[in-house]
Amino acid sequence: MAVGDQTRGARPATAASAVGSASETAGNWLVNIPASYWIVGLVLVFMPAIASGFVLYQILGWAFILGMIALSLMFLAGYGGMVSLAQMSVAALAGYMVAILGTSGVHAISLGWPWWLYVPVAIIIAAIFGTLTGALAVRTEGIYTIMITLAIAAAFFYFTRQNYAIFNGYSGFASIFPPELFGVDWRRPIPFYYLTLFCAAGSYLAVLYVARSPFGLALQGVRDNPRRMAALGFNVVAHRIAAYTFASVIAAIAGILLVWQNAQISPGTAGIPAVIDILVIAIVGGIKRPIGPFIGALIYVVLRTYSPDVLEGFGLSGERFKTLIGLGFLAVVFWSPDGILGLWNRYRDRLRGKTDPLLGEKERP
Amino acid sequence: MNAPVNISVPPPRSVADRLSSTGTGNALELRGVTRMFGALAALTDVTLTVKPGERRGVLGSNGAGKTTLFNCVTGDFLATSGTIRLFGEDVTNFPPHERVRRGLRRTYQISLLFGGLSVIDNIYLACRGVSRARFSLLRPRRDDALVQSTLELTEAVHLHDVRDTLVAELSYGQQRQLEIALALAGAPRLILFDEPAAGLSPTERSELIEILINLPRHIGFIIIEHDMDVALRVAESVSMMHNGRIFKEGLPSEIESDPEVQELYLGAGHE
Amino acid sequence: MTSLVQRNPGWTIVLALLGAVLLWLIVAPWPAGMEDMFGRKRIFLNALFNGITLGALYFLVASGFTLIFGLMKNVNMAHGSLYLFGGYIGYEFAEATGMWLLAFVFVFVFVGLLGIILQFVVFRRMEGEDLRQTLVTIGLSVVLADLMLWAWGGQSYQILTPDWLSGPVTIPLVSGTNRAGEAVYLTYPAVRIAILLASIALGVLMWLALNRTRIGMLIRAGVDDRDMLAASGVRVQYVFILVFAFGAGLAGAAGIVGGTFQSIAPGEDVRFLLASLVVVIVGGMGSILGAALGALLIGLAEQFGSVYMPTYSVVLTFMIMAFVLAFRPQGLLGRG
Repeated sequence: MAVGDQTRGARPATAASAVGSASETAGNWLVNIPASYWIVGLVLVFMPAIASGFVLYQILGWAFILGMIALSLMFLAGYGGMVSLAQMSVAALAGYMVAILGTSGVHAISLGWPWWLYVPVAIIIAAIFGTLTGALAVRTEGIYTIMITLAIAAAFFYFTRQNYAIFNGYSGFASIFPPELFGVDWRRPIPFYYLTLFCAAGSYLAVLYVARSPFGLALQGVRDNPRRMAALGFNVVAHRIAAYTFASVIAAIAGILLVWQNAQISPGTAGIPAVIDILVIAIVGGIKRPIGPFIGALIYVVLRTYSPDVLEGFGLSGERFKTLIGLGFLAVVFWSPDGILGLWNRYRDRLRGKTDPLLGEKERP
Repeated sequence: MNAPVNISVPPPRSVADRLSSTGTGNALELRGVTRMFGALAALTDVTLTVKPGERRGVLGSNGAGKTTLFNCVTGDFLATSGTIRLFGEDVTNFPPHERVRRGLRRTYQISLLFGGLSVIDNIYLACRGVSRARFSLLRPRRDDALVQSTLELTEAVHLHDVRDTLVAELSYGQQRQLEIALALAGAPRLILFDEPAAGLSPTERSELIEILINLPRHIGFIIIEHDMDVALRVAESVSMMHNGRIFKEGLPSEIESDPEVQELYLGAGHE
Repeated sequence: MTSLVQRNPGWTIVLALLGAVLLWLIVAPWPAGMEDMFGRKRIFLNALFNGITLGALYFLVASGFTLIFGLMKNVNMAHGSLYLFGGYIGYEFAEATGMWLLAFVFVFVFVGLLGIILQFVVFRRMEGEDLRQTLVTIGLSVVLADLMLWAWGGQSYQILTPDWLSGPVTIPLVSGTNRAGEAVYLTYPAVRIAILLASIALGVLMWLALNRTRIGMLIRAGVDDRDMLAASGVRVQYVFILVFAFGAGLAGAAGIVGGTFQSIAPGEDVRFLLASLVVVIVGGMGSILGAALGALLIGLAEQFGSVYMPTYSVVLTFMIMAFVLAFRPQGLLGRG
């Protein structure tokens, strides 16, 4: 299946298998983390010391949220071979549930539940929606998945726009604020930054872990050779749907953060342009490793925020940033289908000198 | 491959209980199985009975319907009509993974392995597929029973040295070995071998014969082979297929010397 | 056909019954009590004809899409952009020359050429990489949509119906009774009837071309097994180009239809891309008849939904799609 050809290869960074990892003791994995990850981690943790509130909230916070939604897409596409365009809708549904079940400006609809009730319920509802999407999408060939999930995303958009009883139609909900916990106003840039950083790091690590668990291994087997997996006793359809459930939980958490960040949600949050943006982010970053979506999200957010100024500097209308992003996306798909990660890997290989497969010694490029 | 392989992987205790309580039914029973592809009848009214532990050979020329027969037994294709019973259970409409969980296994003519994973990951998946907790998100601990049986099986098929090698980097013969190992994972009761000798050197072929002959007696198998040598030495009884039908059954010696068979397969490689 | 009936006797009876009821609803005058319950028959007939003609429009756009998808396994996400572009170009041409019919020819050729360029520049380089082709077409649709927004702005454009097609036409169906007790017949815009007839004619021509000509046979063979077609020595590339150009040109021409029926505006590209997707999912990939059936179903669902269940009309369309996916994932007339 040609879809599998593009998405094949999202392997764990090391050759250690799920079984091999059984021989690692608990402390070993700490040693295996490359130094670059430590550096990035430290920089992120201490970012508030050097970055402004705007950067923390609008650039990095937003990048973490979009990165999480794109991560949910990457999990399905890279490890499962299924490109789902419905992840943004799942996230938006969770956000809507926060508005509907919690407090918002629309008093006629919002139920005013406490946060410790509406957060888990929102995640569960969104996860159910994601699972149902998966149930509809997984029994067909790979390319159909894109079509079906796009149609579902569109149906969600039109429904939220036309339904006034629950979703308040065209206007959506406003004045949605995170709860004040432990005396902290989570809407201030620094707390919000740490909240999104925590969630993003958590989902990143969760994906890394699951990818090398028996479930993740089986999922990759289903991606590479569904017929063989069925012949080994695996229920291929059930595995794929379960993958959707896991990915949807991540998207749901991101959706809750998104509605808190924007303080509002409307049908446009999950409109077709937004859905396509998530795809662009995932592809540009690279869908073979979980760090890719976050790289893509950062690039997107930076472009989105600053390109109108750049464009006007060139004398073009600032509104043409969509063309810019589209052209950038095209460039990536044409010349580096693995995304930025792929570019980086090839560059790094060139620098280090690739190992000659026959002789086993390094050769200079 | 070095010394003859002695695979003595006993079935886990829970399955052994199930085995002994299965009764004296047949391992596999096909009654009137037909498989149509549009207007083409790939299988016509096939009736086949295999007893537990029996070693059956299915021979026939290309296009006789042997692989289609296997595909119907495993559930890759659903039979257009007829019934299939596996260890007494009617599995005619079961999907493949349900049949596998009841003890059916299969190897493929062209190895279907996971090229991007290591040898031990392949075998682990095979062991995993027929166990419970298939969906487990937790990584296994070192003393996990499944990990243990994976390592045992890897050693039993003499792939222990290459267990961390990516399958794509194995030699052809090693890949065929792994293919057989996958069929031995869990607690197989009936294995379908689809041309296991294809592409093997004479040495590898005789080692394959050793493996097949030395399989534990509770494991039955059906083998499709073009190579008459392998088939007639390994099988206890033979079914001949032609044009989608089974037209003759008997002992290997009978089939060998049958004039009808010789006429149809003159020069099929048997001296 | 008969084997289909034999294998599903239950469904056949149900469908036959539904068909009979529908026929009666359309042809017979409604008794008084019924109008109280369901609204006026005229509204029903209008919704019916609107649905059929909308289905004709969807068929025009979706048939090209399903052929391209079926033959080249490429989900051309820029298909909607071709529709919109054709609509804009058709508008400019009609404004400039005042000739509506000629606009069709012009747009068909123009957008068809664009399709050929796409085929050469984009798809040939990525032969066999379905996902990558899909991603490229998505990127193209984003860029094209923004450029069209730049060129034509955000307002809607309406292509004027030519004089010889404007005005209503009377259809011999009873839509009610007037005060004198005489039967009143349905009047309906002539241009929509004309488009409907043209679409049917085009659909029949396409079906004939696919099933009765040599080229059609090659295309159908390619849909079933692309590699075999290439292996049999046929210049597969030429077949691809032909089909893509035709599909693209058809989508562009459909833009003129849409601009006449409704309007051309930003966002219509997404709407018609989605319609094509749903039609192909419901009707089945690579099948002209499937595209017709799917388009009819979706057009009717949309119109009836907007008349009788305005808040949830989109749900109706989606339920049909979900239903088909759950029980017959390859589409109603798709090959299993």
